[in-house]
Parts: sequence; C-alpha cells; structure tokens
Amino acid sequence: MARMKFLCDADRCIECNACVTACKNEHDVPWGINRRRVVTINDGKPGERSVSMACMHCTDAPCAAVCPVDCFYTTADAVVLHSKDLCIGCGYCFYACPFGAPQYPRVGNFGSRGKMDKCTFCAAGPEPDSTEAEYAKYGANRLAEGKLPLCAEMCSTKSLLAGDGEIIAAIYKERVTQRGYGSGAWGWQTAYRETVAI
Amino acid sequence: MLTKRKNGQASHTKLQAIMGNPASAPMDRRTFLRRSGLVVGGMAAVGALQLGTVRQAEAISAPQPGVPIELKKSICTHCSVGCTVTAEVQNGVWTGQEPSWDSPFNRGSHCAKGASVRELVHSDRRLKYPMRLTGGQWERITWDEAINGIGDKLLEIREKSGPESVYWMGSAKFSNEGTYLFRKLAALWGTNNQDHQARICHSTTVAGVANTWGYGAMTNSYNDIRNSKTMLVLGGNPAEAHPVAMQHLLEGKELNNANLIVIDPRFTRTAAHATEYVRFRSGTDIALLWGMLWHIFENGWEDKEFIAQRVYGMDEVRKEVAKYTPDEVEQITGVPGDQVKRVAEMFATQKPSTIIWCMGQTHHTVGTANTRASCILCLATGNIGKPGTGANIFRGHDNVQGATDIGLDVVTLPFYYGLTEGAWKHWSRVWEIPYEDLLGQFGSKDLMETPGIPLTRWFDSVTLPKEDVQQPDIMKAMFVQGHASNSITRIPDSVKGLAGLELLVVADPHPTTWASLAVQAGRKDGTYLLPVCTQFETSGSRVASNRSLQWGEQIVPPSFEQKDDYQVLYLLSQKLGLADWMFKKIAVEGDRPVPEDILREMNRGSWSTGYCGQSPERLKAHMKNQHKFDLVTLRAPKDDPEVGGDYYGLPWPCWGKPEIRHPGSPNLYSTGRHVMDGGSPFRARFGVERNGETLLAEGSYTEGSELTDGYPEFTMAVLQKLGWDTDLTPEERGVIQTIGDDMGGIGKVSWSTDLSGGIQRVALSHGCHPYGNGKARAVAWNLPDPVPIHREPIYTPRVDLVAKYPTYPDAKQFRLPNIGFSVQKAAVDKGIAKSFPIILTSGRLVEYEGGGEETRSNRWLAELQQDMFVEINPADASERGIGDGAWVWVNGAENNSKARVKALVTERVGKGVAFMPFHFGGWFQGVDMRANYPEGTDPYVLGESVNTITTYGYDPVTGMQEPKVTLCQIAAA
Amino acid sequence: MQVWNLGRLVAPAVAMFILAFGLLILPSGAQEASGSNPTAQAVNEQQLLDELNKIQGRVSIPDGKAATLQQPQGRDYRGFHEGALPWIGGIAILGMLLLLALFYFFRGRIRTLAGESGIRILRFNAIERLAHWTTAAAFIVLAITGLNFIFGKRLLMPLIGPEAFSTWSVWAKYAHDFVAWAFMLGVLVILVAWVWDNLPDRYDANWLKTGGGMFDKSNRTHPPAARFNTGQKLIFWAVVLGGIALSATGILMLFPFSFADVNGMQMAQYVHATVGVLMIAVIIAHIYIGTLGMEGAYDAMGSGTVDLNWAKEHHSVWVAKEQAKAEPKVPPRARPEPAE
Repeated sequence: MARMKFLCDADRCIECNACVTACKNEHDVPWGINRRRVVTINDGKPGERSVSMACMHCTDAPCAAVCPVDCFYTTADAVVLHSKDLCIGCGYCFYACPFGAPQYPRVGNFGSRGKMDKCTFCAAGPEPDSTEAEYAKYGANRLAEGKLPLCAEMCSTKSLLAGDGEIIAAIYKERVTQRGYGSGAWGWQTAYRETVAI
Repeated sequence: MLTKRKNGQASHTKLQAIMGNPASAPMDRRTFLRRSGLVVGGMAAVGALQLGTVRQAEAISAPQPGVPIELKKSICTHCSVGCTVTAEVQNGVWTGQEPSWDSPFNRGSHCAKGASVRELVHSDRRLKYPMRLTGGQWERITWDEAINGIGDKLLEIREKSGPESVYWMGSAKFSNEGTYLFRKLAALWGTNNQDHQARICHSTTVAGVANTWGYGAMTNSYNDIRNSKTMLVLGGNPAEAHPVAMQHLLEGKELNNANLIVIDPRFTRTAAHATEYVRFRSGTDIALLWGMLWHIFENGWEDKEFIAQRVYGMDEVRKEVAKYTPDEVEQITGVPGDQVKRVAEMFATQKPSTIIWCMGQTHHTVGTANTRASCILCLATGNIGKPGTGANIFRGHDNVQGATDIGLDVVTLPFYYGLTEGAWKHWSRVWEIPYEDLLGQFGSKDLMETPGIPLTRWFDSVTLPKEDVQQPDIMKAMFVQGHASNSITRIPDSVKGLAGLELLVVADPHPTTWASLAVQAGRKDGTYLLPVCTQFETSGSRVASNRSLQWGEQIVPPSFEQKDDYQVLYLLSQKLGLADWMFKKIAVEGDRPVPEDILREMNRGSWSTGYCGQSPERLKAHMKNQHKFDLVTLRAPKDDPEVGGDYYGLPWPCWGKPEIRHPGSPNLYSTGRHVMDGGSPFRARFGVERNGETLLAEGSYTEGSELTDGYPEFTMAVLQKLGWDTDLTPEERGVIQTIGDDMGGIGKVSWSTDLSGGIQRVALSHGCHPYGNGKARAVAWNLPDPVPIHREPIYTPRVDLVAKYPTYPDAKQFRLPNIGFSVQKAAVDKGIAKSFPIILTSGRLVEYEGGGEETRSNRWLAELQQDMFVEINPADASERGIGDGAWVWVNGAENNSKARVKALVTERVGKGVAFMPFHFGGWFQGVDMRANYPEGTDPYVLGESVNTITTYGYDPVTGMQEPKVTLCQIAAA
Repeated sequence: MQVWNLGRLVAPAVAMFILAFGLLILPSGAQEASGSNPTAQAVNEQQLLDELNKIQGRVSIPDGKAATLQQPQGRDYRGFHEGALPWIGGIAILGMLLLLALFYFFRGRIRTLAGESGIRILRFNAIERLAHWTTAAAFIVLAITGLNFIFGKRLLMPLIGPEAFSTWSVWAKYAHDFVAWAFMLGVLVILVAWVWDNLPDRYDANWLKTGGGMFDKSNRTHPPAARFNTGQKLIFWAVVLGGIALSATGILMLFPFSFADVNGMQMAQYVHATVGVLMIAVIIAHIYIGTLGMEGAYDAMGSGTVDLNWAKEHHSVWVAKEQAKAEPKVPPRARPEPAE
C-alpha cells in the first residue's frame, strides 16, 4: 500500500505560490486559512531557499496524538485526516504540529476558534467520498478520483512532489545525483523520521 | 475508531507520471490523458452548510457531484508563457481546474495566477453592468444608452477637433482577433493615436531587435532554453514574472549542469537559483554588456566565422567597446572586473548561450539601445539561430506578442507594414476598402503616415499647450479597452490629464484605476465603464512569447451584462457608421463577429510576419493534439495526420497559405534547418548594401537552399530574374498581376504584398526564404545611437557621470516634445540626487499582474499580498529608523509626489536602492480611494501605485517610459 | 513515547543568540562578496536545524505564525502532553488520594479534643466565604474540564463514544474558558483578603516541627497558630501562586498567539497543565482536611463560625487575639490551656 508523502525540492521552489492558490481553488478555502504556504528562508541573500509547506501527514502524527477528542485518523495511504464533527477547536494540534499546518477559521479568543482545518492531501474527510457534505467541510476528494493533490500537480517548477513516498524519494534522489546539489528533503526527518539519503 | 476506506493504489500509479521520470525527463502524458477522463464519482448529497465548513456560503462554483463534467481548454490570461488552462464545467458553471498535462508549455503547471484564474471569472468584484458617472455619482445604464452616449460624444469631438483628438488605448489582453478589430477600427476612424501595453512593455525590444535582425520577438522559445549551457538573465525575473518558464530554465540548468547567470540590481527569487549572481546599478546595462564584449574581443572569444558570414558592422562595435575598459565598467556599473570577465568567458565559451530579458532592459530611456547591445552580444559570440541560443525575450501579457504583431501601435499597421502609403494600400486591398476612402477618414495624408502619440504620453497630449502637440487639436477623449492607468509613469501628471478630458470610456472586466483616479481628479460626468468579458468567456487565439498561437475556447458565458471585445467593437463601430467596412469580410452572429472569420482575414493580410498559415482549423487541431508535441523541440511527429511535422502553435513566421502546411518557425534565424522545417536566415530588411559593403549574408544559407549565398527579399522581379515565376499558378499570377497594376508594375509585388501567397510558396519550394537572406546589423544607422553607448538615466545618483554620458538631446518625437535632456540637466543642477539619494526601481510580484486591479479582485491572490510595500536595505532602514513592516513615505523627485507604503526591510536590494512592485493602485498620495469605485467593484486590496513616484524619461525611438530607475527618498511615516 | 526533554527547551535561547550574533556578522561578509553562487550557497535544512533547532523565514501573508517553517519542538510538546503529563497527573492525583487514604487509616477523623463548647466564634465573613466558594466551585469545574483534556479520551470516550464525548468536550471547553474568569477573580479576592494573615510568623517553625500535630494519634498535639496555621498558609500560597500561574498561562491560551509564539504557547501549556494537575492534588488534600478529615473544620467555610474549642485547639493565638478584641463583651472564662 502506498505511503503518501510530500517533498518540496527547495532547489526548484521559486515561491510562486501556485500551490497555495491551487489549494484555494480546489477546496474553496476561505480567506485567512492557509492549508499550504511558502516560506522563504534567508530572504534576499545568497543561500535563499523557499519551501512550500503544508501538513506533511507525519508518521505517528503528533497532532493526532495530542488531540483530546481523538478526531484524527490515518487512511490506508497514510494520509492524516480529521473529523470536523468531532473537532472541538482546542488548538492543541497546532502546538504539536512541527509544520504549522492546522488552521482555524477565527482568531479565537475564548476558545471560539472554530473547527480546525488543514491540508487533507486532497483526500477530504470521513464523509462518503466526493459528496457535497464532504466538499463543504473538507474540500475536494481527489484521491478518491485517482488524482493527486492539486498543489503538487500544478507546481510551476515541479518542485513540490506528492505521492508514494518511495517514488518521490527516488525522483528527488535522482535529481540530486544528476545536478549535484540538494538542500534536503525539508521536513522529512521531523515528519517521517527518515530522510532521503543521497 | 474512525477509519475510512481509501483507494490508495489509484494515486500510486498516477504518481510516477506527475513527476515524469526522475531528473525531469518528459512525463508520460498518456497516463494523464487517461486519468483526466475520470470523473467524480459519488452521489449528490444536498444539505445546508454546516458550522465550521471550509466553503464560504456565497461560493457559487462548488463542484456538483454526479453532474457530468465538460472539459474545456483555454489559455491563461496572465503572462506570455501561454499555459493551457483546463476547466471543468458543470451545468455551465466553471467548477474546477485541472492540470493541463498535455501542453508542452506548462505540462500541468501553473503559477499562483494561473492556478486561480477560475476566480477571475467568478469574482464578485467585477463590473456587471455598464455604468456612467452622472453628477459625480456612478449610475447603472443600459448598453444602448452607453453606446449611444459614447458614440455621440466621439462624433461630436471628431466634428470639432478631428479624429486625432480621440485616443484609442487597446490591450495586450485582447485575443488576436480583438486586437485586429480594435486596430482596424482606429484606422477606419482615422487616427494613429492607438496603442497598447507593448508600449510600456517591450516596445524598445521590438524596435531594437527588429532593427538588428529583422523581427522584434523572442528568437527561440521557453522550451528551447532547455538546450542552453549558459543562460544569462539580464533584466528579468522569471521566477516572479514567468514562473512556469522557470521550469524549463531550472530543468535545463540541472540536466546540462548549465550556468545560470542573473544580473540584476535586486537579489530576486530568480537570483536565488543562479550559479552566478551579479548585482549592478540599475540603468547601466550597456556599460556592462560592453564590458563583457571588451573581454570577449580582448581574448578572441568571439565567433569570427559567424560574424564574417552573417553580421554587418561589428568593427564599429569593436571601436566603441574598446572604450569600456574593466576600470571604466566597474566605475559605471559597480561590478568588479573579475566578475565581468568570468561572466563574459562563460557566455562566450560555454555554448550554446542564451540571453534572457524582460522589462529590466526595456524600461529605460536607453531601452532600445539596451536590447540592441544584448543582440550584439549574441551576434559576436555566434549565439543565435541554433538550439539553446538566442535572445529569449520574455514578453509580459498573455497576448502582448500578438497585439504587437497586429500593430495596435502608433507606428504601424498590422504586421509591421508601417504607415507608408504602400502599407495603407496593402491593407486597403485586404479590407477591400478603396485607399481614397481610408485617406478621407484622416485629417491629412501627412497625419495618416505620421506615428501617433505613445500611450506613455497620453496625458501630455491633453495638458500640453496646443502648439506643442503636433496635430490639429489636443486630446479630448480616451477610449480605453483593457489597459491600466497605474502602469503609466507620472501619475500626478496623468491626474491632470484625466481632469482635462471631455470623454473617458473604460471597457474592462474591472473599473480599474482609470475610474478611481478619474473621480479623484474631479470628474463628474463624461465617464463610462463598459463591462467586458475575460478571455475565458469568449474564444479566440493568443500568441505566447515564443510566437506560438493557441486557440482558447469559451469556458463559460458571462454571468451578467458583460460583452466580449468583439461585441463591444461591433456595437461601437455600428454606432460610428464604420461597421460595413469593418465587417465586410467577417460574419457577424447577432452582435458578435465570428472570431474564426477575423483570423481568416488576418491570414489573408499578414504575409510580412507569417501569420498567414495559422488558420483557425490548424490552431484548433493543435489544441486538440497538444500531447503529440515534443517538450524540447515542440514538434509533432511527421506522420501525424492532423498536425504532422508542425511545431506547436505554428510559431510565426508560418509562411504561405495554410494549405502548404509550413510548420512554423520554432527558432528564428536557424540556418541549420530547411525553410520548410522552420529554418530561416537573417531578414534582408535593410537593403542589399551600404557604403559599398554588402548587407546580404556571405556563404551562409538555410539547409537545402537552392541559392547558396545571401539574397534579397523575394519580389516578382526576383522570381522573374531567377526564372522561378513559371512555378506560379495562373490564379496566383492573376492576383499578382492585379496588385502589380495597383502598384505600378508587377515586378514590385513582393512576398509581403502578394495576397495570393504565390511568391512565398515558390521561394519556399526552392528552399529559399521569402524575406531574403541578409546580415544582422551590429550598426543600425537609422537609430539615434547606431552603436549603443552608455547614457546615464534621467534621474541618476551618479551626477559625476552625466557630463560624460548624458542622455539624448531634447527633440520632438511622436508629435510631442521629449525634454529628457533638460530634465536631466535640471536635476543635476538642483542637486536632486542629494535630497533623493535612493535609486527606485520597480517590478513584478508573482501574485499580481499589470495594473493589478483584476488580480487584486481575486480573493485567492489578494490574500497573498495585502499591502503595497517598498523594499529597503537594512542599512538604509536603520539610518532612517524604519522597522520591517512599518509605514513609510516614499517621496518622489517630481511633483512633490509621495506614497504611503509599508517597509519591507530586506537585503534583496542593495544599500541605496529601493524596489516597489507596480501592481498596486486605489490609493493616491496617502488617500484611500475605495469610495471612488462603483459600489461592489473595488478590488479587495488597494495600495499606492509606484508610478505616483516614477518620473520623466522617454526612449527617443519608442516613447518608452523609465520606471526601472529614478530617485526617491524614504522616511518613516 | 518521547519524554519531555528540558535540553531542547534551552536550545532555542541559545539558537536565538547564535542567530542574532550571526546576523551581525553575515551581512558585512555577504555584501562585499562579488562572486556569489546562490546555488552552491543554498541553506541546508539539517544545518539550520542543528544550529537553530527551528526554521523560520519570510511569508507575505500577514499571519506571522506561518513564517515558522518547522518547529521540531512540536514533537516535544507531544511527548510532554501524551507522555509526561498523564503520568504526572495520574501520580499526583492518585498518589494524593492514596496518601489521604493511608492518613485516614492511620489517623482517622481528627476530632476536637475538648468537644464542642457550644460557643460559636466568627471565623470567615460572608465576603470571604463568597470568594472561597466562588474560587472553589470554579476550580472544581476547571479541574474536571481540565482533566477531561488529558484523561477524557482515555477514560470517558470509550464509555460514551466519540460523538457524545466530542459534544461534552465542546461544552467542557467553553466551561473551562469562561469559568476561568470566575476563578481568576476569586483568586484575586482571596489574595487581597487573606494575604496579611498568611505571611510567615513565629509559630510556623514549631508547627512544621510538630507536623501540625496531625501525626499524633493521641490528638494531643496542637501547636499554637494564628488565624492560619502553617498548613493552611501552604494551601493559601499554593492556591495564590498556582492560581496566578494558571491564570497567566491560561490568558495566554485564551488569546492564542497574541502574546506568544508557538513555542511560547507550548511553554504556557507545560506550565498550565503541570501546575493544574499538581494543584488538583493539593486541593484534594485541602478538601479532605476541610471535610472528612477534621471535625468542625467545614463549619469555618460553611456557616462561617467555628466552635470556640475547635478554634482554641487549632488557632490558639488567633482565638486569643479575637477574644482580646472582644474583651468588653465576653468576660474571660478561660479554662486551662491544654498541656503541650
């Protein structure tokens, strides 16, 4: 069974934000919620690299562990999803997430942050696949249609890879071998406790 | 515990396809084709939105489970890469976007803008109905009222001041067909005061490059850059301006271990991926290029054979370049000598090399000379006319190349025929309108053949005294269809122009800054807004930067009272009494002219540029067969029944009639290919000899040519001399004879005026190129600087260099005075550089485009850039007590202009340099003009425009403005 | 399961120092370098993590949190939250219950040696009682809803199912967030009302030495004490300091990211949760001694009055003072003080 992963090849990422708007487009994500974002490190200096980041769908996901109502579940593809029906908007998952993935609809004092929202790897949520109810809460379910996350599919430079971890690792590895440099499989060590050995 | 069944294996198989083979080999498109056929499963479940849903309640475009999906293809309406947009349409609603795997240009990819184009159509901030400013209030009117009101006023102005007092400002966002109608309407109205964004985009490129080797366009293609060993980006930031182009650059860089040299005053997102970054002073491109050439000549790295065979006047360049010693270059540009040498050596010796530029070179008073110098670098090193070489000029808008070619421009009729009597006669034959009738529409024959006023100066033509404007009267009306006002420099002056107009019409999907600034200027009446469709709501062809034409189909019809460009121009021309001429050979369905017919008329007249072979049928076949074209060569297999042997999009020139199936020209000036495989020599455009020296190629010719040396352009006389005229069919000969009668001799009919296509066909059949086989010109004797020389920007911090490198002398150009020299002198005398010590440059953000109103009305994009900002170096910021994110005033060197923006403290800019993006508008000198928009049409994000701060400065050849370098001061707000 | 690692918490501070220092040095070097090769100079994830233990950059969206690309501290937070915290909480609370049970077994209910005198003396006025009970009631709500965040999914959810548990938890969360304000107010009033009587005095050393007489099975040991004996003072300070800690960290969580970044928020959680469970343990002891554990103690907060004999046994100094104040009204009818 495939183990889905994201890999952002920072030596390709140009911070074009296609992944961000593709996500907004596919799931009609409202203003203020950023399931995916691009962070630029060392901005403006030689060495600058941009990395597109969303939920990494961690192995043994910390968000799932700390959830006080256990609203997370992991699919057979190792995609980490959650149920908005169960979520109480406590915010613990944001503290636990190494990647800042969980988002809340409201700034939320007094705990009224609303249900957590995050990247679903385009696999939506627990409702029946590709239904209006599912779309309304989680957005489109591309995986159910045999498609991959739109952010990666639309990446301008094929920097963002999504899919079976072994395959994307192989792609990345071969790229690095070919070109002779690579700033790392960002987040892999933290998310999957392994990295792409070159 | 929760679990959910998931069919993971489905994605597993697709996955290999998405990334293709490792190290970016072309992907398996077939897999994607299969998979894109899959439709959404599942059943409809109608229910009210629940608390905590992702979707906003007003979203009208959610997918409809169970409803069949129709896939439609169009082209992204943003930059010139030409990405295919694949739309999912359900019940006439655009409910989703899918990656367009089949397009060889984007291979599924998009940038932020392309990935969000669906929202452009659905945006609730669009103009929905025609509006009129009445007593200072916007009111909704009908189309009839609008067209009648506008038409009556135009006719009144025509009566009173003549046709030249109406300015027709068109758009690079038109389709080719829309452009053509707009161009034709201006011609029939009787003025050359018609222009579009190319003026402020690549007008200097077109002038400089065409004057060097024939055509002013990208010589190769984005895809061809994959072949380069050295890529030199001078004055471009594709990572933000052409992100999908970066796919080709970066994959090329990786696969070839190529050099990617980025020369820019700013450490851009592109520079972050360079192998060599060179920071230099804005406006010193020529000094830098000559500095490189100095090393190339010094070390004998030039391509001597290439120069001898195909270049005219390189010795004069040598003489000029000798003055640009390493010390002098370092003095002017600030780049250390060893780095200039290293870059020069890479470019000249690690071939194939390409030079890439965008508006960093063009946006200068020396823009034309900049682009010439870049071409000369290619010529000197033999880096032109082969895969991986060339001047890869990244155009701006999605159809700016097409709109340029179609002559929506003050200096020419469609397809670069110029404004001469011969040109008008050519088009009178194509349009089947007697020349005398055309002449009768103009104030005089002189005005008919005199270039109009460039759009950079439209407001000067309103506000200058009548005697300074060389036409019967000053400008009284502006008809603006698809052009931003905040893209034009000197906004404080343009506000005065807005106040002075009798009529302002803005036809656009959005009100644009024309509307908000018009109200700000005090206009109370005489202002109309016409709601226009986006290109996704109509059909037509557009030209990508690499000269490929792509046909976009209508994805959805407009939701409100928007009309497409064709309809607007039809209604207006009808009102103005020009419709019979306009649509003599073009079918009109209801009020909509048929775009296919318009393209066919263009095909019939565009021999000079090779738009004659791209029939609507061929273009549609290309869109249908996208997956058959090769990623690198862009060519389809020769045995394909529909598109066999064609290059994708039939990149112009695509010679002859469609039936002869010329495949298009992927790389210009490639002598290594047969003309019927897209090969071509340099265009013999400038005569056959000068001062006793030949201007025709020597010993160089295209593969398989029957003439094995240079030859002039083909005319009937040349055919006769060669004895090839017997190859003409009787029909062809008949057409040529008729035209010959009109021109005063059959021998004068040429490849570009022969409406039968016979001359082109015969030349091609002998392996010869219709336009001749000439030399490229290192010396362009008709330009102000035949060999480019460094000239300081009008507002320069290096006042010490002005005496030695002054700007061009004052002169009258384009019907107006250009007093750049006086302005520069006054700035030096007044010590402007002391009170405004920071160089201000401007450029693109990836999220927005052009004036930005459309993209700032797209909530997915607007969220990503919510504030106008100025990039300022940490050292400059700390001197001024400015923190990151703080509000600052940027003060300009003219008009006491000022702009209130946020500081972005970053080392992207060097000390003494500031950068501002040019997409913002809706604020003016600290005033938020949101209330000036008709209700509900204000973009989500408003901000100060950089062009409030930018200053005087116009290229003498094209009237290009100078927004890439001026001076400013920054203070904490 | 990873255990909370203190070392990793120190690392960010060190990292910030390195970063700040590095920033001062880097630009000067970078500016003059002409031949920069941005491809070769690329930052490397591992190196950034090694040096800074966290990766931050620039984002164009206004959400400052988004600029943190990676904070492996999230893993530590999880380690604490799912590893250390349930253990700390479990041990503290169950341990306290066990201790109290042992104590009860050993000592039984502490009786008033002299029996009831029938004379009532006012110990806490209405305002004091209101403050106490407000705080107490709030604390119980907070404790139960707070423990729900740690133990609810382990204990309650299997019994009632995820949907009902989620519904309960939503309300528990609202209760926790709103009742918190009552608790904070109560702690404030308590602090003002009782702080003077809870400052250390000369009787404390002796009280502590004798263990407050609690371990004297003969019930004859009654060290002198003023209004509050040392044990009560410890409770007071536990409530006040613990309450302040809970309030401060709680406010941070009520206004997430207004005052702290994600690591600050984690820190707030660490403190809040740890102090919370410890305080629950302390309060259990407090409840025990105030109700089941000691005869006559509940009256002090119940009716506000205590029996004079009880008062004399437990707060002899206070009684003396009160009686001295009331001299004109109540003639001294002193019995011999119990021998100590």
